[in-house]
Amino acid sequence: MTAGPLSLTVNGRSRRLEAVPYSERLLDTLRLRLGLKGTKEGCRSGGCGACSVLVDDRSTLSCLTLAHEVEGSSVTTIEGVAEDPVGARVRDAFEAAGAVQCGYCTPGFVMALTGLLKEEGRSRPFSELLEDLGGNLCRCTGYAAIVRAAAALREGDE
Amino acid sequence: MPEFELVTPATPDEAIATLRASAPGDVAVLAGGTDLAGDLDQGRVAPRRVLSLRRLPWRTLDWNGESLTIGSTLPLRTLELDADLARRLPGLYAAVRAVGSVTVRHRATIGGNLGRAAPASDLVPMLLALDAEVELLGPDGLRTITVDRLVRASRETALGPAELIRAVRIPEARPSAYLWQRVRPFHDISHMAVAVAFSPSRRSWRVAVAGFPPRPLLVPEAESALAGTRPDLVSVERAAEAVGRHAPIVADRRASEEYRRRLVRPLLRRAVAAAGGGGA
Repeated sequence: MTAGPLSLTVNGRSRRLEAVPYSERLLDTLRLRLGLKGTKEGCRSGGCGACSVLVDDRSTLSCLTLAHEVEGSSVTTIEGVAEDPVGARVRDAFEAAGAVQCGYCTPGFVMALTGLLKEEGRSRPFSELLEDLGGNLCRCTGYAAIVRAAAALREGDE
Repeated sequence: MPEFELVTPATPDEAIATLRASAPGDVAVLAGGTDLAGDLDQGRVAPRRVLSLRRLPWRTLDWNGESLTIGSTLPLRTLELDADLARRLPGLYAAVRAVGSVTVRHRATIGGNLGRAAPASDLVPMLLALDAEVELLGPDGLRTITVDRLVRASRETALGPAELIRAVRIPEARPSAYLWQRVRPFHDISHMAVAVAFSPSRRSWRVAVAGFPPRPLLVPEAESALAGTRPDLVSVERAAEAVGRHAPIVADRRASEEYRRRLVRPLLRRAVAAAGGGGA
């Protein structure tokens, strides 16, 4: 048997999928099986962050994650991020700062930053927050606006 | 990608039984999967069966006085965010933060890092300098070996065919530091890295270097050059010379031997200073 049923909650909705190959990446389950194409495929090797989603609120590279490994988990993609209060703030901050150029990296940045801001009880210097976003690449050189969005969110915290 | 069967045992005994029932090469062990995923994608490995450790009760972290025991499947990000880690084992905190990005560390594990034995592992040199031991579970029960004995060469460990890493134990909190050099901080692996730790119980330093094949290693000759809790610049200089003389630093496609050798002195000087010694 090289495939099996898979149950997940995706953006708050329970999904049961039949005959999902055990080799399938969460990225492909989301994009190709569920049609959630907001999650982007960049390098497919864990180097660019474009495929970041939340798995039980933890930012995760969906390209390096076998879909069956998150069986029973709650997955949030960019399509569902605004249902989360923190995610909605991050989305709004990106919009207000103009932190989007071509937009390809944006879903990954929004999910990664949402995950960081949702980590409980964390007070850390802003420089560390930016370091922790280091796994996400933008090739439009839009980092300055992304940093402005993150800084605006940080001010909102205080 | 070739298809495979995924086995997710709920108990350690079932996991060991699965390994025993599989021919070596037919089975790949999956912890966080962030390293194995690439090998599966590229076809570097094509196991018939993948053994996932995700249901095993090994996502643990226990401080017992000065010692720390880390379950092998604990995500590195959880270890990093432990309230005491940065203060009691600052070198390990730095080494954990040197692994990939946050999104990688939410899945990557300490057991996976050791079991995969990548030559440029950031955790192995720090664990060497901390005299860490590894609990291995196999058909005959538990055995404990040092990280130095576990990691043999690039992608090669002393794990038996039906053995799993259950936990990593660090005997004591130590002033420690881990410093690396790489091209892009969150995307590359280290060209050169230095791990240092001072053992309060043994009153001596440990020095490990990493970033070049075949594996991270301790340099005892450098350790004896560093005397006392606050070695002066002269002894740090002697330790750097000892690393240059005794560590088999080589070139690979990521960096030349000369460049790596030039990195030893500044990395070691800053690491000893960061761990509370003199110099810098």
